[in-house]
Order: sequence, then structure tokens, then C-alpha cells
Amino acid sequence: MKWLTKTIKFILIGMVIFFFLFPVYWLVTTAFKRSEDWFTWPPSFFPQHWTLGNFLGLEGGFFGSVTTAISTITPYLINSIVIALSVALISTIIAALAAYAISRFKVGGMGFVSWIISIRMLPPIAAALPLYVIFSHLHLVDTWWALILSHLIFTTPFSTWILITFFNEIPQELDEAAFVDGANIGQTFWHITLPLSAPGLASVSTLAFIQSWGEFLMALVLTTSKNAQTLPIYLGRFITGWRIAWGPLAAAGLVTMLPVVVFSLLMQRYLLQGLTFGAVKG
Amino acid sequence: MMNSKKRKRTGFLLILPLLILFLGLTIYPLIYMIYMSFHQYSLASWEEPRFIGWENYREILRDRTASSSVSFTLFLLFTAVPLEILLGIGIAFLIRDVWGERALRSSLIIPMTIPPVVAGIAWKMLYNYEFGPINYFLSLFGLPKVSWLGSQFFARLGVLLIDVWQWTPFIFLVIYAGLQSIPRDVVEASLVDGASGWSAMRYIELPLLRPLIWVTLIIRVIDVLKLFDIVYMVTFGGPGSATHSYSFYIYKVGISFGWDVGYASALSVILLLVVTVLTNLLIRFLRLSETLGL
Amino acid sequence: MRKLTITSMIFIVLVFGFSLGYATELAVWSSPDNADALFELAQNFMQAHPEIQIEVTPLSWEVLYPRILQDITAGVGAFDVTTWDLMTAGAIAPGMLDLEAFAQEHPDLVDPDFDDDDFIPTARYIYGYWGDKRIGQPFYGAAMFFFYRQDLFQDKALQEKFQAQYGRELRVPETWQEAKEVAQFFTKKFNPDSPTEYGIGLMFPRTHTLFYMFLNFFGPYRRSPEGIEKFGEVDLDWGDLFTADHQPAFNSEEGVKAIQDMIDLLPYSSDPLGSDYGETLEAFSKGMVAMVPQWTACMASWQESPDLQPFEEKVGIAIMPGKAPVSGGWGVGINAFSKNQEAAFQFIQYATSKEGDKIQWLKYRVGPTRKSVIEDPEVIADAPWLKDVYLPSLEGASHRPRIPEEPRVEDVLVGTISEILLGQAPNSIETLNLVAEEWKKVLSK
Repeated sequence: MKWLTKTIKFILIGMVIFFFLFPVYWLVTTAFKRSEDWFTWPPSFFPQHWTLGNFLGLEGGFFGSVTTAISTITPYLINSIVIALSVALISTIIAALAAYAISRFKVGGMGFVSWIISIRMLPPIAAALPLYVIFSHLHLVDTWWALILSHLIFTTPFSTWILITFFNEIPQELDEAAFVDGANIGQTFWHITLPLSAPGLASVSTLAFIQSWGEFLMALVLTTSKNAQTLPIYLGRFITGWRIAWGPLAAAGLVTMLPVVVFSLLMQRYLLQGLTFGAVKG
Repeated sequence: MMNSKKRKRTGFLLILPLLILFLGLTIYPLIYMIYMSFHQYSLASWEEPRFIGWENYREILRDRTASSSVSFTLFLLFTAVPLEILLGIGIAFLIRDVWGERALRSSLIIPMTIPPVVAGIAWKMLYNYEFGPINYFLSLFGLPKVSWLGSQFFARLGVLLIDVWQWTPFIFLVIYAGLQSIPRDVVEASLVDGASGWSAMRYIELPLLRPLIWVTLIIRVIDVLKLFDIVYMVTFGGPGSATHSYSFYIYKVGISFGWDVGYASALSVILLLVVTVLTNLLIRFLRLSETLGL
Repeated sequence: MRKLTITSMIFIVLVFGFSLGYATELAVWSSPDNADALFELAQNFMQAHPEIQIEVTPLSWEVLYPRILQDITAGVGAFDVTTWDLMTAGAIAPGMLDLEAFAQEHPDLVDPDFDDDDFIPTARYIYGYWGDKRIGQPFYGAAMFFFYRQDLFQDKALQEKFQAQYGRELRVPETWQEAKEVAQFFTKKFNPDSPTEYGIGLMFPRTHTLFYMFLNFFGPYRRSPEGIEKFGEVDLDWGDLFTADHQPAFNSEEGVKAIQDMIDLLPYSSDPLGSDYGETLEAFSKGMVAMVPQWTACMASWQESPDLQPFEEKVGIAIMPGKAPVSGGWGVGINAFSKNQEAAFQFIQYATSKEGDKIQWLKYRVGPTRKSVIEDPEVIADAPWLKDVYLPSLEGASHRPRIPEEPRVEDVLVGTISEILLGQAPNSIETLNLVAEEWKKVLSK
């Protein structure tokens, strides 16, 4: 009987993996297909001919290739990198400071934390318009800071929440031992708390990075040119109406997804640690 | 030891950055949104805002597209979220202790980390009527091609499918992490006592995981209310207004055509109220104050 | 490690801050169908004016329009030049530069050979003016055309079969009534011997595409003698959907009939409610449909298609059945908040000059707006049908409203027509009356 269970398990797992990976597979192969293979019947699952043309702006096979060439992707890539890294960094710092205060000094109590968490639940669309108005008065529309600040609103609360649970795991006796030895808060924080909660910090910055990198709505509303637009906007520029050049679009999609997927895979151990929310007691 | 006063002051300094950030960037939008919801103001008409009281809200009650977007969002809530949770839990248990577990886990993380916009592109290709792989698979089973993007019913199903595809890994990851953190000896003890694998799961592990399941439930519920990227990329709300998620509808009203700020604000206020209520439920159910030691 | 990251980031920010302002950079926004032509025109222009750098950014329709509005209402000036869809004229007019006033202030920049009178009069108005303000130069002159597989219509065997089945001659339909039978004939599901899978490629998606496709069907009724008598003459700013006194005209028997024509053609098309520009283009390109109402820019792609060679034999162009095709097209204008108005003015002058208009047609099939180009011997040799089909199409074309409320009213109508096509609402005057009510509300706001 055991082999029956094993076989069923095997089949189920196979189906699951197929379901979750097939769209990715399709995207990746399309990025390397020639234009006549993008849409065929039956669909070309294993392309016979590979081409790098989609990445080099050569493929298109029809007019429109010039305007969908991937060579124009560079400014967007830079914007995405700068913004996502800044958001990861800044939100972790702010969250760590706040989480430490809440964990150690119980500043604000549950009311304060509730407020922080509810901000994360704010639907971006509700904030997008007013933020647009604020930023246009401050001349921040279409700048990196517009996106960094707006992303921070949504990543920091979550990070704070997770870091509070991490800091709670670190016994306060360690802090007190440090005080006895003459350290002040800053030194305690830097030399003791932070290193011990490194997995939490890694987890939180990874999540912030993922969220910022893939964020679409704020970038759509708050930016208007390649000075500050991110990769998702680059992808979303011509999704309707005109004949879509799927090859270059898939290629751009690949470029967009590769950094964040690779990064997440590298950091997955930390992701796992962070995602228990401290809810499961040992 | 520091005295109490110094602790409070230091604590306050530490949270200052967070406070400034949020006060500046969330209070103003909130006030603006509530204020504008009582005005007629459209950026495209080049006129000043005009006070109209509750008119926007009355309009929402008459608005057919608004109600259809609410019903679509509810549809997703009652189908996508339960599906994701069941599947996520199922997969977590399925994969555990299997050979190649790490590789499987890694591949399952991918849909969750892919930017929704990229997922939208991939699925839009899959849903192509004439040449898409999905219709191809259907044809292999002798089924007719489905108009995923042209039929109301199937477009909704299509969005549902993408949402499940994208977020089941999140549930899976959380539950999986939770399973890992349950000490083995508890489970083993029960197995030694004669319980079967299934009972161990039902009576020990699932109850322990319950707080986590609640967490993911409410996070997903609130995230479905925010659904936008996929709709934008794959269906653009169509056909008709079949796949207008509530957030997408706010976008259409407030930005896509005519910048009707007043009406969009009213819609947003309602959304905000709903989200606030749900968030408070979350915090209550989880007994978050205990978890956080407050 | 942390310090390194912070330092490098500060560095990046500083670099960005100082990197503003070298050569004059023009940001040109364009719809995808205009982008390739603009791109080449920009290249030509930059060669003649090396101190001006031009960047053409293609944006899909749904993205372009809100972005233009966003920019001009906030006064940001992220774009200098943009193509604008003729029906958005009213909405964007306040934010666009008055070109005539500008020309008067900078006579040195005006090209003496520009010849403003050379523009086809209808074109010059709809792609150039809002009221008295000249907000654009005509760029893409367009009415929809009826493209069809000439080789199939001329095939003797098919002609005989059609005659036998329908009792009349097989010819390119001149009314939508005729089109139904022809479309049925060319749809495999109804006629297993059909050489094509589908008779007609229709695009009725839930986007502004449906709005203009509707006019192809409503226009003939609106502009018939009965229609003119009932609704009055068509106002160029308010379009065919309104009566002469600016009341909705579509909530009428004529509107219902127009939608019925659309419904009747649905079975002969591939996924009409899920198809847009791209899908019908692709379908015709692969030889899957026999007829397709479309814009001229598609021809550039079709000319490259292996299934449509030899092109002159296989592809025929006719005026739209009903003879009131919807007008489309784009003007190109300057942002009132642009910081590079002189350079922008020079560029659009070139792009819409005789030379520019000719290049955009010959190479990219972007419809010309100048009489001289249509009469040009090279153009006549290349596309003799331009004079015969294009001019009358443009002149008899039905128009969408160009008023500022256009996006909102369009969305309301599209939603309802979409529902009717889906079978969710009855095709009746009552249903259309609901839309008319909504329109009146929006217009009175």
C-alpha cells in the first residue's frame, strides 16, 4: 500500500509543480522565440529555433520592433534597482528603530501598533491620488523620492511587526547585562540586538525589496518619464491596443523578474524565519 | 539601569522616524480623501472643487459598475482565498519530508516573488483564444476553446486562477515555516503513542497552526481588496465590467478617464472603512497584543 | 558593508542630481501606431539639428491619455511633444500650446514652405483646432477602411458557389446587410468549404475600440437622408452620436438597428469580444479571416506577412460598408508647460511638413493629411486607391465627440454596448435611454 501512497503523492506533486511553473516556463521560452513562433498552433512548447533577437531589439518581424526594442530598458532597470534597494534599506532601519522601542520600552502600547499595522492595510489606490497632489506641490512627481517614500508607507509597517516579534525573542537580560557593563542604548542595539536578530533583518529587507520591485500602481500614478519609472511600468506601457510584440515583452519581463527571483531564492531561509510572525509558540 | 523617564524619552526618539514618515504621508491623504469625497472635482474639467455634500455617496449606490465591482471582489474573496488557504496547507503537508524538498520549496516560491505585472504578461499569453497553451490543453481533451478574455464568466475565472496561482505559494510558505517550527518531539510522542500520521496532523499540527492560518486569511482578504495589477495587465477590467476589482474601478474613475477625484475619493473612503474594520478584527482574533508582549 | 551601501547610494543620488541639462532634449510621447513613423522622422530631424536630442516614447492608448491629462493639470512638463487622439481635443486643449500665437511670436522659426492650406480642410480642423485655439498639427489622417482578401473575392470557383448559395453575385459588401451573408460564406463553421476560418475580423473589446467600432455601424444610419432629417446635421465637435442640438442620438431605433447589425456579425468572427487591434491584425495577417475593418497602419505589418504575398493581389481596400467609417487620427502638439518650446515647434513643423507626411505614408502607412501628398505621383503610383477610397472616406466619415467629457461618456456607452453584445442587457431603446440619461448627467455637471 505504501507504494500506492507514494505514487499518488508523486503525481500530485508533479501536477502542483507543473501548475506553478508552467507560466514561468512559457514566459522564459517566449523571450527566446522568433516572432513567427510566438503564436502557433499547436503552441511551440519546445522551440526548435532560439534567438537572442528579442533582447537585442532585432526581433519583431514587423514594424513596431523599433519601438518595442528592449534596449530602452536600461533607465528603468536603474530606477528599479535604486528604488528597491533604498526602500529595503530605509524601511529596515526605520522599522528596526521603532520595533526596538516597542519591544523594549513598550512605547505607545497596542494602540500604536494597531495604527502601524492598519497603515499596511491601506489600499494603495486610496493613497495614490492624494499623494500625487502632495508630491506635485513639492515638485517630487516623477522622482525617485516619490516612489521611495510611497513604498515606505507600505513596507515599513509589516517590517516593524515582524521585527517586534524577533526582538521579543532576544531576552532582555542580555540588554541589562550590557548596561551593567556600561553600554548605552545605542551600543546595546548595535552590538547585541542587531547581530542576534540578523535573520529577522534579512527577512524584512528581502520582503521590502520584493514588494518595492514589483510595485505597480504608485509608479503608474506618481511617475511620468524614464527619469523615475520602474520596470513594471516599462512592461505595462503597451499592453493593450496595438499589436503586442510578445517576444521583446517577454524578454523585458524576464529581465524584470530575474533579479527579484534570484534574490529571493538566495534569501529564502530568512524569508521562512520571518514569516511565522511569532505566532506559533514552540 | 535607566530610569523610567529616560527610557520613555529614548523610546520616543527611536520611533520618531516612523512617526514622521507616517504622519506626513498618511494623515494628509486621509484628510484629503475624506474632504474631496464631499466635493465635485475633476481634474479634466479645469474647474475648482465644488461642495456637494453626500451626492457622491448617493451616486455610488446607484452606480451599477460600482456594485458589479463589489460583487466581483466578493466573488474572489469567497473563492480565491479559501482555495489558496486549502491548497497552501495541502501543499505544505504534501511536500514535507519528500525527497528534493528544498528544490520543490524553492520552485514554489517563484510565483509569489514574480512581480504581478510579469505574471500578467505570462498569463495573458496563456489565455490567448486562438493560440494559447491553455486552450491547446483543453483541445487535447476534446473540449472547445474557451474565450478567456472575451467571456464574462471565463474572464472572472481567469483572474481567479491567476490569483490562486500567485498567492497559494505565500500561504504554503507561511504554513511550511510554521510546520518547521513545531518541535518534532511533540509529534513523535503522539506517533509513539499509537496515533496515525493523519491524526497527528489533525489534532496536533493543525491546531498549532491555527493562528498562522488566521493571519494569512486576513492578510489575503485585505490584499484581494487591493487587487489591481493583474486586472490591469490581463483584462483591463473587461469584458464589460466583469473583472473590475474594486481598486481597479477606483483607478478608472480617479485616474484613467477624467480624473474624477471627488467620486474616486468617496469610493476610497468606503474601501478604507471596510479595511479598517477587518484590520481590527485581525488584531483581535490573533490576540496580537499577547503575541507582541503588549 | 552597510556604510558602503549608504555611501554608494548618496553618490548615485548626487550624480543624478547633477546630470540634468546638457543638449536640448525633447520628450516625445506617442501612441504605438504613430511611434515608428515619429521615430524615423526624429532621426531625420536630429541629423539636420544635432543640438537637439529627441526621445520617442510609445505608450498604449489607455496609458497615454491619462498621462497627458495628469501632466498638463499638474503642470509638470514631463513631455514636450505628444500625439493626441482627435477625440481628446476638448479635454487637453487648455494644457496645450497655442501654435498660432507661438508662430506669431517666433516668426523666425516658421518654415515658409509649411503651407498650412495644404491640409485637407476636415483634417486641419479635427486634428488641429479646439474652438479657436490651434493646439496641434495634423499628423495621422485616418478613417477606418475595409480590408479584404481580393484573391478570394475574385476566385471563380468561390464566386460560383456564392451565387448558388445566396442567389447573387459575390462582391465586396457595400452595406452591413450584404456583409452578413458574405461573412457567413467565409466562415468555416457555417460553410465547410470556406477557404478562411472566419468571415470577418471584428474587435468589440471593452475599451474605447468598441466606441469607435460602433460608429462604423451607427454612422450609416445617422448620415442617411432619414437620419439627417431626424437628427439634424452632424456637428464636428460633438460628432455623430449627438443631434444637431447636442442631444444624444444613439438612443433611437437607429441605434438599436446599428447594434443589431453588430450582433448579427458576431458568429462570423473569432472571439470578437476579446479581440482588440492586435488580435484582428494578427488574424488577417495569418490568412484566417476574409475581411477586416481596420486602420491603415496595419498595412505596414500585413505587407511583411508571408501569408499575404503577393500583397497587391491578395489584399484589397474598400470604403467601409455603409460608407460612413469612423474617423480617427492624431494631431501632434506641444505641452504648454514644456521648457523646450522652440525646439518642439521646429520638430513638429518638420514632422507634419510635406516631406514628413509623405515619409510617414510611404513607409509606415500612417494616413496623410495633406492634399499635395495624396496628389503626389509617387504616392499615386504606390497606392492609387488613396485618392479614390481615402479621400471620400475621410470626408464622409462619422465622428466621435471631441468634447472634454468624452472619456467619461464613452466609457458609459461602451459598458452598455458591451453588455448588450454579451447578451446581458436587451438591445432596446430603453437600455440606450439609460445611457443617454447618464450622458446628460455627466454633461450637465
